[in-house]
Amino acid sequence: MCVVWCPDWPVVAWGVPLDEPAIVVVGNRVVASSPAARAEGVALGQRRREAQGRCPDVAVLERDIDREARLFEPVAVALEGITPRVEIAGPGLVGFPTLGPSKFFGGDHDLSLKVVEDVAPVLAGRGHIRVGIADGVFAARLAARSTAARTGPIVVTTGESAEFLSGVAITALEQPELTGVLARLGLTTLGAFAALNPADVVGRFGAEGQLAHRLARGEDEHPPDLRRPAPDMAVTWMFEPAAEQIDRCAFAAKALADELHAMLSSDGLACVRVAIEAETDAGEEHVRLWRHEGALSAAALAERARWQLDAWLGSIARRALITSAATSSDEMENATSGSGIRRLTLVPDEVVPAVGRQLGFWGGRAERADDVTRVVARIQGLMGPEAVQVPERRGGRGPAEQIVLIPAAAVDLGEERIATAAEWVSEPWPGRMPKPEPVQVRFDPLPIELMDDARRPVTVSGRGELSASPALVEGSVPSGRTKQRWITGWAGPWPAEERWWDPVSVRRRARMQVTLNDGSAHLLVLEEGAWSIEATY
Amino acid sequence: MADLASAARVRHRPELSQDIINKIQPVTLAGQRIMPVPEVLAPLFPWGGLQRGTSLGVAGHGAWTLSLALMAEALGEEGWLAVVGVPDLGLAAAADLGVRLDRVLLVETPSLDQWPTVVAALLEAVDVVAVAPSARIGPRDARRLQARAREQESMLLHLDGGRTWPNGLDLTLSTEVDRWEGLGEGHGHLTGRRVSISAAGRRGAGGGSSVEVWLPGPDGRLAAAPKEADVLEFRPLRESVNRESPVSEKADSQEVVGQSV
Repeated sequence: MCVVWCPDWPVVAWGVPLDEPAIVVVGNRVVASSPAARAEGVALGQRRREAQGRCPDVAVLERDIDREARLFEPVAVALEGITPRVEIAGPGLVGFPTLGPSKFFGGDHDLSLKVVEDVAPVLAGRGHIRVGIADGVFAARLAARSTAARTGPIVVTTGESAEFLSGVAITALEQPELTGVLARLGLTTLGAFAALNPADVVGRFGAEGQLAHRLARGEDEHPPDLRRPAPDMAVTWMFEPAAEQIDRCAFAAKALADELHAMLSSDGLACVRVAIEAETDAGEEHVRLWRHEGALSAAALAERARWQLDAWLGSIARRALITSAATSSDEMENATSGSGIRRLTLVPDEVVPAVGRQLGFWGGRAERADDVTRVVARIQGLMGPEAVQVPERRGGRGPAEQIVLIPAAAVDLGEERIATAAEWVSEPWPGRMPKPEPVQVRFDPLPIELMDDARRPVTVSGRGELSASPALVEGSVPSGRTKQRWITGWAGPWPAEERWWDPVSVRRRARMQVTLNDGSAHLLVLEEGAWSIEATY
Repeated sequence: MADLASAARVRHRPELSQDIINKIQPVTLAGQRIMPVPEVLAPLFPWGGLQRGTSLGVAGHGAWTLSLALMAEALGEEGWLAVVGVPDLGLAAAADLGVRLDRVLLVETPSLDQWPTVVAALLEAVDVVAVAPSARIGPRDARRLQARAREQESMLLHLDGGRTWPNGLDLTLSTEVDRWEGLGEGHGHLTGRRVSISAAGRRGAGGGSSVEVWLPGPDGRLAAAPKEADVLEFRPLRESVNRESPVSEKADSQEVVGQSV
């Protein structure tokens, strides 16, 4: 097995040179950093502020995993010139079986050099590439990650994987709960763990421990006697007309993933490698394998299908660029451009017996989410797919911009949704209204007149000054009559100029808070000379 | 020894005659059917909390804030809230008041003939369905939905105070804004609102009890309002102007410029 690893891929995908300090954050925590940032003391898992404290001029980037997947596609395409069985494990990490290619290119070592030679031009100096070859995926991955791989590809000779692994620290398994226990038991290297009796490991640590033990012994995650799935397990979605937008594909991917997952789990199977196939309306076919160490859940399947389709749709759009980059590939030149995807098929390429997902202790949460999902589907059947929505946070100034609604069908209601947590939006938005937030945000702001004591309209000057103190609000209620209320308190105006750099979409607004003599409090907004009630507290 | 033991037993559990026990023994324990409410609001609720299967209405300025604060406590970490046909609900405010956004579903306004079906379906799966129908609901549909809520132990929350509901609600909370804090004449910004909440309901529920709270309080959430003399953190920045409404408008206090809330 050969593994190609592009270190710091989240940073590379943003197009930041690795010798500039940069961090990629999710919910205020550092998840990736450039070597230059690490040299300044930035570490994974740090808070954003701490990282900025250590390295003040660090560039802070939000993680964009879709983009990472999209930009990784050319690497996979480059490897396809070597072997057709390219398996992507995640953006930045890809592998393929070496048996055939190794013979063809004259041995593992020559193969590894060929990989570097083909992939490096794609990266065009933006990122590094590490190559490791060993018996199993796990050993190959560790070989690619070892410090020695910085200077050149690491080849672990056939049959020596167990020996290669024996000196590696136990934490390489990346299962903190398990390795924490093992380390306390005095098993600090993979070799020490591998020396245990497999039966004892299963007895004490269950299926998870068994898997880790196989890895530590230098074997593959799953025994080779895997059942191959029946061909009718493949699920297909036809697009009519062909899909050119990722959101349509995302819907299809979610539906297919759910269907496939249900079919597999009813047979007691879980998918560890899935082939994502797409056909464009010009008739060209794309296939890509995605692998996951555990088992792919329905949500994980859908996510990978979406990443892959996003990458393909992007490559269809930028066909010219890619053909010039993929110099050697005749295949790419033949591929005349279709404009969209006509067929999407998910094929479970490798399945294993499902060991079951651990439910919450009381099992209640997952069941409830299933109930809710079922009802949501029913309502969507009645009212259309967009009828049920769920909120997610976004940054923004106005009360209407801080939350976006996305169709419930596009998310997994049973999973933790990080975009709903308060930490999701980390940037303080300058010009944002102070708390509390209004409890009613009008979809269509309600037009009103704002008047002073003498019933003259109140205007705002170019310098953001009011023409007079506002005293009276007048507006029509839905019944059509005009209502008036005295103003008992007011503050503002606060100017809010948005997208000032763009002459087309620039919005100049001013906001004011008022309390009225009926006890209500409102957020007024002035735009193009007209006042309206934007929100109510 | 025997005497001591029986004495201890008597102290812990006063004896009741069997027929009294039979009478007061509920089929399902009431405690399982009560959702918790913020402590300061407990006096408003006849059972000390929201009883599943019943209907609740909120009315007045600040009523939506009140219902979101109630939901935050009642639903906790796992409860689900569905909001039907209220696209204006401020979700940022909901989150600040403690409602978990990943347990909220927003349903577009269904057409009138689909409205009962959609609400009935939701009552099966979520804990609370918040509604504000745009037109009057027929008495048959209302009875059916109420029965569904009872059977599924979920709740209907009427954000319009039950104006469109043909039957009386089990409990209605009415808010009256005492004053807003933080806003002067041309300076400051809104920081808190002092509200008095009164409860009224069927069969004497609520009993006209009322509480005073900060909604929202200094930390953006519901807070108990101490007696006026103890208030330190919320002093009016300036005496607010108190003028009467223009004469023409005096008769109509139901409709306001910022309709409903």
